[in-house]
Amino acid sequence: MQDAEKKMKTAAKKLFDDKKVDVIVGFRKGSRANSSRPYFARSAADVENLVWNGFCTANLAAFLPGLFEKPARPEDGYKPPRIAVIAKGCDSRSVAGLVKENQVPRANVIVIGMPCNGMTAAVKGAQVKKDEIGRACLECVSPMVKDADISITGESRKPAKGGYARVKAFAAKSSEERWKAFVKEIAKCIRCNACREACPNCYCKVCFADQKKPAWVSPANELSETIAFHMGRMFHQAGRCVECDACVNACPMGIDLRLFTQKLAQDAHDLFGSVPGISGDEAPMLNMFKQDDSECFITDPEEK
Amino acid sequence: MAKPTNNSEPTIVAFLCNWCSYAGADLAGVNRMQYPANVRVIRVPCSGRVDPLYIIKALQEGADGVVVSGCHPGDCHYISGNLVARRKFAMLKSFLEYLGIEPERVQFSWVSASEGGRFASLIEKVVDDVRKLRTPRKIVKEETITANVR
Amino acid sequence: MYKKAMVVGGGVAGIQAALDLAEMGIETFLVESGPSIGGRMSQLDKTFPTNDCAMCILSPKLVQAGGHPYLHIITNSEVAGVEGVAPDLKVKVLKRPRYVDESKCTGCGICVTKCPTKVPDPYNKGLSQTKAIRIPFPQAVPAVAVIDPASCLYLKKGTCRLCQKACGTNAIDFTQKDELVTIEVGSVILACGTTEFNAKLKGEYGYGVFPNVVTSIEYERLLSASGPTGGHIVRPSDKKEPTRIAILQCVGSRDISAGNEHCSAICCMQAAKDAIITQEHLPKAKSTIFYMDIRAYGKGFDRFIAKARDRHDTTLINGRIASVESDPVTNDLDIRYITQDGKVSSKKFDMLVLSVGMQPSVSSMAAANNLHVRLDSAGFVSVDTMEPVTTSRAGIFACGSVSGPKDIPESVMEASGAASAAASTMGDLEVKQIKADLPIQKDLRGEPPRIGVYVCRCGINIASVVDVPSVVQYAQSLPGVKFAGELMFSCAQDSQKAIKAAIETHKLNRLVVAACTPRTHEPLFQNTLEQAGVNPYLFEFANIREHCAWVHQKEPANATRKACDLVRASVAKVKLAAPLYRKSMGVTKGALVIGGGLAGMTAALDLANQDYDVTMLEKSGELGGNLLHVRSTLSGKVTRPELAGLIEKVTVHAKIKTHFNARIKKVSGYVGNFHTELEGNGAPIDHGVVIVASGADEFQPAEYLYGKDDRVVTQRRLEEMIFAESENSQTVSDKPHSAISNLKSVVMIQCVGSRDDKRDYCSRVCCSNALKNAIAIKEQNPKTAVYILFRDIRSYGLREKYYRIAREKGVIFIRFEKDKKPEVTNKGGNLVVSVKDTILGKAVSIRPDLLVLSAGIVANPDNKALSQFFKVPLEQDGFFLEAHVKLRPVDFATDGVFVCGLAHYPKDIGETIAQARAAAGRAATILSKKSIESEGKISSIRQEMCSGCGACVAVCAYGAAELDPVKGIAVVNEALCKGCGACAASCRAGAIDLNGFRNEQILSMLNTI
Repeated sequence: MQDAEKKMKTAAKKLFDDKKVDVIVGFRKGSRANSSRPYFARSAADVENLVWNGFCTANLAAFLPGLFEKPARPEDGYKPPRIAVIAKGCDSRSVAGLVKENQVPRANVIVIGMPCNGMTAAVKGAQVKKDEIGRACLECVSPMVKDADISITGESRKPAKGGYARVKAFAAKSSEERWKAFVKEIAKCIRCNACREACPNCYCKVCFADQKKPAWVSPANELSETIAFHMGRMFHQAGRCVECDACVNACPMGIDLRLFTQKLAQDAHDLFGSVPGISGDEAPMLNMFKQDDSECFITDPEEK
Repeated sequence: MAKPTNNSEPTIVAFLCNWCSYAGADLAGVNRMQYPANVRVIRVPCSGRVDPLYIIKALQEGADGVVVSGCHPGDCHYISGNLVARRKFAMLKSFLEYLGIEPERVQFSWVSASEGGRFASLIEKVVDDVRKLRTPRKIVKEETITANVR
Repeated sequence: MYKKAMVVGGGVAGIQAALDLAEMGIETFLVESGPSIGGRMSQLDKTFPTNDCAMCILSPKLVQAGGHPYLHIITNSEVAGVEGVAPDLKVKVLKRPRYVDESKCTGCGICVTKCPTKVPDPYNKGLSQTKAIRIPFPQAVPAVAVIDPASCLYLKKGTCRLCQKACGTNAIDFTQKDELVTIEVGSVILACGTTEFNAKLKGEYGYGVFPNVVTSIEYERLLSASGPTGGHIVRPSDKKEPTRIAILQCVGSRDISAGNEHCSAICCMQAAKDAIITQEHLPKAKSTIFYMDIRAYGKGFDRFIAKARDRHDTTLINGRIASVESDPVTNDLDIRYITQDGKVSSKKFDMLVLSVGMQPSVSSMAAANNLHVRLDSAGFVSVDTMEPVTTSRAGIFACGSVSGPKDIPESVMEASGAASAAASTMGDLEVKQIKADLPIQKDLRGEPPRIGVYVCRCGINIASVVDVPSVVQYAQSLPGVKFAGELMFSCAQDSQKAIKAAIETHKLNRLVVAACTPRTHEPLFQNTLEQAGVNPYLFEFANIREHCAWVHQKEPANATRKACDLVRASVAKVKLAAPLYRKSMGVTKGALVIGGGLAGMTAALDLANQDYDVTMLEKSGELGGNLLHVRSTLSGKVTRPELAGLIEKVTVHAKIKTHFNARIKKVSGYVGNFHTELEGNGAPIDHGVVIVASGADEFQPAEYLYGKDDRVVTQRRLEEMIFAESENSQTVSDKPHSAISNLKSVVMIQCVGSRDDKRDYCSRVCCSNALKNAIAIKEQNPKTAVYILFRDIRSYGLREKYYRIAREKGVIFIRFEKDKKPEVTNKGGNLVVSVKDTILGKAVSIRPDLLVLSAGIVANPDNKALSQFFKVPLEQDGFFLEAHVKLRPVDFATDGVFVCGLAHYPKDIGETIAQARAAAGRAATILSKKSIESEGKISSIRQEMCSGCGACVAVCAYGAAELDPVKGIAVVNEALCKGCGACAASCRAGAIDLNGFRNEQILSMLNTI
């Protein structure tokens, strides 16, 4: 891993030296022990601060829409910055999705693909042990970086088999049990919006949940509003979620959002053959249709 | 404001596209087909207009069930609005069911402008399905619960 | 002098013609002999084959006609004479007294309640009672009372005048006298229709003697929810629900002894419709239709017949009723009938419905005579196949059944065609400028919502189930509602006055009407708002009739509760409504006509003669289309010279430019502003409208040895053979052609490639073609034996005459069943046709010299591409699907695109010309305008919330959403947006929203649950 970090730094430095980038989005050492945090390197000198270790959990693609946000009058000679991103498999899938959704001009991004051995889940309360590889990484089917512009070689995890075992187990419960379990998780929410801030797909300028006219959901910490918020936010990930667990890792209350978002990933694959950031769909899954898409959910009132 | 809805009977919200299903509902009326009075129709131009959040909100606002109906695939007045909607609805229905919302509460169908009978059967079925549920409503607003208890 | 026209007859044809003329800016006088416009269609229950409610689709047209600034309705009036030469005609109109001042009457109906004289209600064919003073029917236009002088006590005996005392507006005027006025117009359209056959003249059926024998139009009223029994079907004798209903076809049609040789063209479908609707009302009821031929020749008609037969227990018996006996005690009917095999049977029925035919009315014939227009021997206005809307007098046109029995769409097509023809004769005249007299819309900014709610009783339609007063009371309690009231008929003209007055008095700035369906009646109330100076989008409908009263008839309490809920939701929605404005867009004064056949050329010429530029695209290298293969019309008129003349006119016309071998590459734009690029080089064509006249193809048979034996040909080939040597002659039988006259025996097989499981539709023209060619063969050599193997002879309307001529000339007709098709074999070099004759009941074997297949018409495979280019739909058989099968037969749902000719459905030469002229007429209603307006309810984007993800762009089927290439956020092309809202539902950020159905409004409605 240290070897990978060294190679990455060399490559990063070269990018600045060659004047190929304005910013490199990566990680630096965190303020606590055993932690790293996102870092924007803006010069060759900053490269020294970059790290690559087992705590590089965050999905750095989440910063790209903000970095590429256009000024109010882009017609006055705006040129998008050139940005390199230190990417794990999941980050690279998010980059691919953001490119598809016009949030990231691919030509202005240099994906520095890192070998990923899985990252430590964020520390929350007593439930998660230190140094434990996160569930997202254990279940990761795509640790390899997709479409890297610069590939840093090194030891990497083998792709997991996938199969959504937890989703299947959950689905096997009765609907009342599922609802209780779902409400129990969601009831922990304090509406801090950390999940939203961490998610690379949550780039809306004003989240539906923050809108006043119309008020899709009330900001009040009322259970049904919180449920509606999470249902809505999660459903907005349908066909887009790369299962990186940025939301899970960001959540201070330890809500098991993965148990629910994974269902969307499973359905995207099972119903429409879509694996966000991996399958070569021409558009995000819900922006398109096929004439013979599944009809199995349609009620036929005349069916005997 | 007092809401005259009878609380002992389920309330079903039906989002109907203007061109087929709403017209089908009109036809059910013209043909005097009788169906339960539990349904409250919201006319939308196309089933493609139905934001999945509407369905979640309808449940939260007190609907016991929601049914969305549009033109049959191929019949869409707006060419493909119902096909765009179909993907969303397939995902939503499965997702809500997974979270524990009974599939009977959220249903999708296609009813054409000439299918008054099918519309009446659809409403009958949805109302019947919801009536048969022994499980409580989901995403209940606290104020609504209080109102019901009172 | 400016453009003015008169339309005589206020039925659906007259209304359509008048509306088209008015929309072209031509001041139009609609002269109707009765007290209200609406005609026969206003008495129908449903229309086949979609079973749309006739009044529901007609009533908006009535209202539109009643309110059009360019249209004057003159009721109770007849044309008395004409002088001058078009376009300078002086028409004398005799206005008979109404005894009610139209300008004062509000149609409140108090006079009707006070009138002591009960009379049979003509609207309900005497099955119910009305008063001597009455409003003709609830949706009447004008909605003004009329006094029947034949029954009014005061007018007859000089006493009473109760109505005058009761009238609050002093509208009763007994001093009115006949008045003769002269109206100067450029052109006149006759659309005064027909009357029905008097069934008493066929005494053997017992009409007028036995109570349970009724006519089809009386039965129509019995079926109708607005009829004498409120749509509850009961037989007249004992008011019991009938379960055994006999329907007899061709009563006074196809019957020379009754004075009517013609087929009435609509009764077969009407009978099937009545059978279906009867069973929908009374599930136990079963109908039996006695017919001569099932004439299901229109779009979807055969499927409709099959529906009646297979899904609604309708028995179809090919036979005639010989006698009817009525049981003196039960009034049940004992009907003896003869089937086609000669067997006599008898059966008991509860009711007998006589499908009475259409025939020229005395008043129609008088109108035609007064206008010096020639009638045919039967009394229909005489028109030529090649000039289907042109009468014998220049400047006077005809449409609808006045020139022969016709169904609604054909009548409407002819109406638009006649309007186009009339407009063409006035090409040079000025258009009168009438300012739409709309007040300036009030500025509502900063004003809190002041909502008015009207709850409609719809007579008893709503009020008998929903407790209307309590809904009104409930509405009054809702926040923002400043006024709530009820109306007897919210759609009536006097209700519009009441609504306007309430808007004024209570300073309302938003309106909710709880009544019927917005699909038909929204424009009416929007218009009322506009006239009251309120933006028409500050309006919501609550459908408490179709969606409530009618479907919860047995639970009035729940229905009332639901009505309250629906009103509450509508109030919540309208409260958040914002004024919307249609955007005005210029119109390119040019048309693109696709197809250079008869339809395309006719439409092109009509538009060019109205001074519009026309670009015609022809995929082949020559003009003429299918008409190149036709040599004569059914009446024997040769078509080659006509075709040559038409091609010549099109070719030399300065306003028409034709592209041969043309293929469309790309189409962009929208109504008024289309741009079409063709394959190859050349500038894009700018045009304001498109007329699709892409034609159809002859079916290529793969059976009956076709293609394997030279003696097996299609009708098209036979026609060429008949005419091969008489090419330049003027009539068919000028010169016998040896190849034909030497034939000893010819067999024709009908329905080849039509009416089968693969193509379940009738190709409509093949029976007439077979008759035409059979007659031609007989005329060349009477000794040639001609056999026509048929399933039903569909010589509908005036074509029936040729069926008779063919029989008289000795053509032999052999009926076969669908599943017992003829067999054709080659036995020792001889063609052998074997068929089971269902009339004789035995197998017949014929050895013809020539076997002629009546090959059907199949849709043009290019239609698919055209449908995608212009975003217009095809129906299941591949023909174009019009906007509405009855009332919008040449329009598409997509504005600015029209269809005519075989592209729409098989039809003959005359019908093609009529529809082509109709397409031109409808197109002219757009081209004549300086500008057109966008939809009001379209998408809009809040740019500050858009991240430019492109979901809206991806889901928009119209290319109306695009990403701004610099800003990277979405923009909506208002002209292209159709308002479906797929973009809004796909926008996670809620940045794009659909005006009229905004997220905020929908959520607010949900909040009322």
